[in-house]
Amino acid sequence: MDMRKSRSESGASPLDGGSGRHHDWDSKRRRKMAEISQALSVTPVDVATLRRMAISEGGLLSDEIRRKVWPKLLNVQMDNLPEKPGEELRVNNKDYNQVLLDVRRSLRRFPPGMPDEQREGLQEELIDIILHVLQRNPQLHYYQGYHDIVVTFLLVVGERLATILVEKLSTHHLRDFMDPTMDNTKHILNYLMPIIDRVNPEVHDFMQQAEVGTIFALSWLITWFGHVLSDFRHVVRLYDFFLACHPLMPIYFAAVIVLYREEEVLECECDMASVHHLLSQIPQDLPYELLISRAGDLFVQFPPSELAREAAAQQEERTAASTFKDFELASTQQRPDTVLRRRRKEQVVAGREPGAVPKVAAGVVAVVRPRARRFVRLAVMGLTVALGAAALAVVNTALEWAPKLDLQLFP
Amino acid sequence: MESSVELSSSLPPPRSRIFKIIVIGDSGVGKTCLTYRFCAGKFPDKTEATIGVDFREKVIEIDGEKIKVQLWDTAGQERFRKSMVQHYYRNVHAIVFVYDITNAVSFQSLPAWIEECRQHSLGQDVPRILVGNKCDLRGAARVSTDVAQKFADSHSMPLFETSAKSPGDNDHVEAIFMTVAHKLKSQKPLALSQPPSGDGTVPLKKPTEDRGGYSCSC
Ligand SMILES: Nc1nc2c(ncn2[C@@H]2O[C@H](COP(=O)(O)OP(=O)(O)OP(=O)(O)O)[C@@H](O)[C@H]2O)c(=O)[nH]1
Ligand SMILES: [Mg+2]
Repeated sequence: MDMRKSRSESGASPLDGGSGRHHDWDSKRRRKMAEISQALSVTPVDVATLRRMAISEGGLLSDEIRRKVWPKLLNVQMDNLPEKPGEELRVNNKDYNQVLLDVRRSLRRFPPGMPDEQREGLQEELIDIILHVLQRNPQLHYYQGYHDIVVTFLLVVGERLATILVEKLSTHHLRDFMDPTMDNTKHILNYLMPIIDRVNPEVHDFMQQAEVGTIFALSWLITWFGHVLSDFRHVVRLYDFFLACHPLMPIYFAAVIVLYREEEVLECECDMASVHHLLSQIPQDLPYELLISRAGDLFVQFPPSELAREAAAQQEERTAASTFKDFELASTQQRPDTVLRRRRKEQVVAGREPGAVPKVAAGVVAVVRPRARRFVRLAVMGLTVALGAAALAVVNTALEWAPKLDLQLFP
Repeated sequence: MESSVELSSSLPPPRSRIFKIIVIGDSGVGKTCLTYRFCAGKFPDKTEATIGVDFREKVIEIDGEKIKVQLWDTAGQERFRKSMVQHYYRNVHAIVFVYDITNAVSFQSLPAWIEECRQHSLGQDVPRILVGNKCDLRGAARVSTDVAQKFADSHSMPLFETSAKSPGDNDHVEAIFMTVAHKLKSQKPLALSQPPSGDGTVPLKKPTEDRGGYSCSC
């Protein structure tokens, strides 16, 4: 599979700098690779560092590294890879026709120079992976666009590993999209406008007035941008980011794209068609590293918990509880003991005192935070390091989440 | 609200009218190909699944008047209709139902699609047409013209059989959409004007509680 390799590996600086910066990037890159190897080689694997690497500039750098790190980010064990499914998978499968139709039309997801025969083989594998996951998880429902996500995994890690990664992803990050209806997906889309409102009320009001809705971002969200970006390198870079983050991060990224285009938006005719058209045509030359760090920034500033009420108010009151279950991903059975709980509460108080600089640094929180919550903390810490944001924000954010997580994980 | 006064008191010269047409039908019947053929004049080399709603438009001329035809190409998979596509049913001027003549199921789904439109309170007065696509595959036809015609009659809509890929007559797809446009033009001489929006930007004030006061009908 040399083809795959060459697609998303690039030695070029993501910052497109001059040759001086290029040199900089080379050494940064080398340092980063060493750090990743180091994180992979310890027992247990240093997932915190891997997350940070996946988020920070350049992401995971190469497909070779992704093959090793993505499973760790998803907390997937690689020892029992599934067997190649048999023919029976395609018989009497309610989704088979739709999957076939979508995969047949997915030519653009494959490298342009790939020989037809090879592509057709991969398309068959793509169908198998999708049906395999659906068959093993009858609670999951296929949606058009799911195939755009699966193909990314297939091209990077190959069929067998892709099957388990996608299965994990489907029961976690993508879970809401795979309900029998798209109500929860709609609910997640409802986070978009409140985020935009926080940053640029003018853009928000303009969009409201145009009644553009949020469907222009639907395919972005449910395919993790795989459906709309033509450069595979950008797609995998975003996947590094999303795999390391909270499942709502794609909606923050969507908001960041809209905000990045504020001038165009405001110059657009204020009607649904024009604005929908403008926004749904995603520019292919976006500065991804910049946007990723902005999305992380917004996430820290306006965490989902803060936006939840507004999002719910966009339609009828409802909670997409399953969205938050994702935190379980990195959790173990380890339960927080009461001492830890009490200490955390003390910190909450400290952190909330207006104007007070919390004495706790992220590193301290790590000690007292129960394991189940570490997922949250790590994701945010990864962002922080990437963004150079203050530990203060991190601590506050993580603590604000805590009550919700308690309810979810320790009823 | 002051801005609404601004809007209505300084009307720019009337702009071209817009006909908004929604295209619906099962996944794979060729909605994207048909709308692409009409707007770009050719069959697309590659289409992909439509996720949500895609928008295409074309300016046409009828009796010397320039008219913008907006086509809303919707996702065929059932799950998208229920909660997603809703928003786009609003204010449509015409509906194009599409089925695939080689796929009986896509024809059997039509009553559900029609019901869907009814639920979105698109009444009988909204012009509707039925298009049987993929006629280049006559040999594989599963829906006869007779049956389709009866169905169309019973719902008082005209039936067109065509092919987005190779219509016998190259302009056939275009002719179909033009028929709809003519119908709309004769039916609603004034009701369809585009709301004025000056130089393309609408004066916006800081957000206020009562956005409803805005008389922006865009
Ligand atoms: N032979 C033939 N094939 C066609 C014709 N129109 C569309 N197709 C093919 O049918 C398949 C589906 O076409 P699309 O236009 O993508 O279908 P759609 O209705 O938009 O499907 P969704 O977006 O999933 O709802 C594609 O492979 C097209 O190439 C036609 O007139 N003749
Ligand atoms: Mg389509």
